[in-house]
Amino acid sequence: MLWHFASRLIQLVVVLLLLSIVTFILMKLAPGDPVLAILQASDGALSQRDQETIREELGLNTPIYVQYGSWLRNVLNLDLGKSLTNNREVWTILMERLPATVYLFLGAIAVLFIFSVPLGWLAAKYKGRLPDTFSRLFAILGASIPSFWLGLLLVYVFSYQLNWLPTMGSGTIMHLILPSVTLGFVIAPEYIRLLRAGLIETLSQDYILAAKSRGITNRSILFRHAMPAALMPIVSLLGISMGALMAGSVVTESLFGWPGLGSTAIEAIRLRDYPVIQGYVMLSGFFFLATNWLSDIGLVILDPRIRLQKVGRI
Amino acid sequence: MLILAFIMAGCSNQVSNNNGDTISSEQPAPAEKSSITDDNKKITIIHSLPSETLDPHNGWIALRAGVTETLVRLDENMHVTPWLASKWEAKDDVTWVFTIRDDIDFQDGTKLDAAAAKASFERGITDSKALAASLKIASLEANGQELTIKTTEPLPAYPTELVHPTTSLISVAAETSMGKEKFNQAPVGTGPFKVTSFVSGKEIKLVRNDAYWDEKARLAEVTFQSNADANIRTLAFQSKQADIVYHLSPESLEAIKQEQDLSVESVTSLRTHYFTYNPASNNVTDIQVRQAIDKLIDRDAIVNDIMLGHAMPANGPFNSTLPFGNSEAAQKLDSVGALQLLESAGYTAGANGKLEKDGKALTLKLIAFSGINPELPLIPLVVQSEAAKIGVTIEIVSVEYPEVYIKDQTDWDISTSSYLTSPRGDGGSFLNSTYIVGGSYNPANIHIDKLDPIIKQLNATGEVAQRNELTRKAVEIINEAMPHSYIINPNILVGVNKRVANWKPGAEEFYIVTNKLDVN
Repeated sequence: MLWHFASRLIQLVVVLLLLSIVTFILMKLAPGDPVLAILQASDGALSQRDQETIREELGLNTPIYVQYGSWLRNVLNLDLGKSLTNNREVWTILMERLPATVYLFLGAIAVLFIFSVPLGWLAAKYKGRLPDTFSRLFAILGASIPSFWLGLLLVYVFSYQLNWLPTMGSGTIMHLILPSVTLGFVIAPEYIRLLRAGLIETLSQDYILAAKSRGITNRSILFRHAMPAALMPIVSLLGISMGALMAGSVVTESLFGWPGLGSTAIEAIRLRDYPVIQGYVMLSGFFFLATNWLSDIGLVILDPRIRLQKVGRI
Repeated sequence: MLILAFIMAGCSNQVSNNNGDTISSEQPAPAEKSSITDDNKKITIIHSLPSETLDPHNGWIALRAGVTETLVRLDENMHVTPWLASKWEAKDDVTWVFTIRDDIDFQDGTKLDAAAAKASFERGITDSKALAASLKIASLEANGQELTIKTTEPLPAYPTELVHPTTSLISVAAETSMGKEKFNQAPVGTGPFKVTSFVSGKEIKLVRNDAYWDEKARLAEVTFQSNADANIRTLAFQSKQADIVYHLSPESLEAIKQEQDLSVESVTSLRTHYFTYNPASNNVTDIQVRQAIDKLIDRDAIVNDIMLGHAMPANGPFNSTLPFGNSEAAQKLDSVGALQLLESAGYTAGANGKLEKDGKALTLKLIAFSGINPELPLIPLVVQSEAAKIGVTIEIVSVEYPEVYIKDQTDWDISTSSYLTSPRGDGGSFLNSTYIVGGSYNPANIHIDKLDPIIKQLNATGEVAQRNELTRKAVEIINEAMPHSYIINPNILVGVNKRVANWKPGAEEFYIVTNKLDVN
């Protein structure tokens, strides 16, 4: 078990290191100049000599490997640097924004399950009939609607027309509903399809037939036997979905003025605020890997076959 | 679920006001009107630009939110007027003495004197590279209420630099006791409102500063939010969840007009959209070609069809309503005149109807970008269409950062540009940064010999009327040489609920939350 954790930790460090190198190179290759963004703060009608001075002070005129080395050295000292545009510690900015993104993710995952579990179950139970068709149509709809459009539609209906929910911002559970639905709805179709397929397959297994023949109720068969088995691939998918959630949060947060990491990332990219972009990528990478790791552990807990296999290997 | 929601939406004609009370969409609830007192008057404002920090020296938001103030300010005619400083004078080319009002305390109760102002400037130039570069401070000296600033080079229009929000005066004593991080979440200035909470990138909550040195603010509380999405801002305005909403899109105005409680203020901005011609391109070296392109810009169509009337045709770098703006009429679309100019430049129609010279068709590469202005990529399309009618091909290439492309590449003929040309109520900084080689707005290295002495004279003149005259002269020379074609000054569209009183948006977009802002 210890070796398992150690190897995962080494993997994490190596992947984050590679990720940091790739991001650093891509950032520097992309067009744009952070000095212009810095000067925006005071409308920057300044000479190129002023720009050069700032570039020199920030070390932006040194070779890329020197800049990367300096960044990496600071990171090893647990210092992600300061934002180029507002002079704040990157770590403080990220930690300040992290809770809002976590709430949004939890909200989106809740929405995802609220949509996908009943629809997946209905589709499996009434395979080939109207609920199945409805569920599949819903999945197609969810997969084809862009999140920014869905978000606008939801705001139009629930905020403008009905006036039930706030159009934007954060602070209460009411603020969380529309961004969560927007983010969760677009990811849900994959889960509906997977759950439907998983349930259909599980419900046709011999042990389910055996349970039925022993007179166990349908509800018990579904919730105690079929659903846990069908949820297994969902747990794996949840780990992979972290990437989609991260990407989706960028659009959703910007749309709803949700003060999370995604909107910070968009702003940092717009202003070419390299330290913030790099910090965001590192944090996202960490979460992506950590969630995958957690989903692996979840599978070990949920699936006795994997558990026994791992214990045997250890 | 959506179908159900639409059905319910169709049945509903109720909206709720800013306080969460449900009222009819037709008129404000009488109960709400009667319950408004001086102690509970509140307002919600939404701006388009999110702010990561309230640090007054690294952003505009603290001044916009009425938390901080500057030594001098711009009035509605864009003239520099006293604010925290009652007067100022230039002792010599590099020495400025500002007399600070004697009756002002910061929000933490400490007195604003020259020593406090000095500490604030020192903090500003340490924490903001942009501020240090623009203020060019060599030394600061405090004596009672007199602050002496020595600059590293002669800057005759120095007070205009001190208009900018990032020159706000803050209580350094408060920062020392609170710590930098906490201070940047709730800065202490001299303004009519104090910060109660700040969520970066989203919202500032403000309460009235009862010890304000000037007339006490009429509102008790203000919520200042931000959202970069124009559609969401518009919906927040229409659903009465916000009273003042900045930067509405022109397309949304028709829907807003239907609501009788809402109005829209359209203010000509200090921004100018223009074309830059590549001085290194053989295609546009001949001034007749540039003049022809200028005549092919249908400014009226851009104003009426793209901006839906919310812009002004430009005839120079500065908004024509400014004291130093060009008062002559802007160039109208003149395809015949354009064709004549091109023929005079040696172009003739080829077999396929395209204009050509020495067997080479006139094909121009135009760099387009969108920035934060959705209309910018549409302007080249209007010109492309008019040019095609007389046989000139314009190839449009979209880039994210035109200034970077212009600096790094030579294969372009025309580029779209958009800048705030007089953010401080003076044209000097734009002329210096755009028409002097090495200027930060001059990536194409444009240089006009005749303009150099005028800019030099301008840089040595402090008197406002003389500066305006010199700026107008500079514009004449620029228009004659035509290194740029000025297209439009877009308007700032601000949604204002009719319950808002004593408030109008300014072209400078500095003073948003004021002590006079009120609600009925």
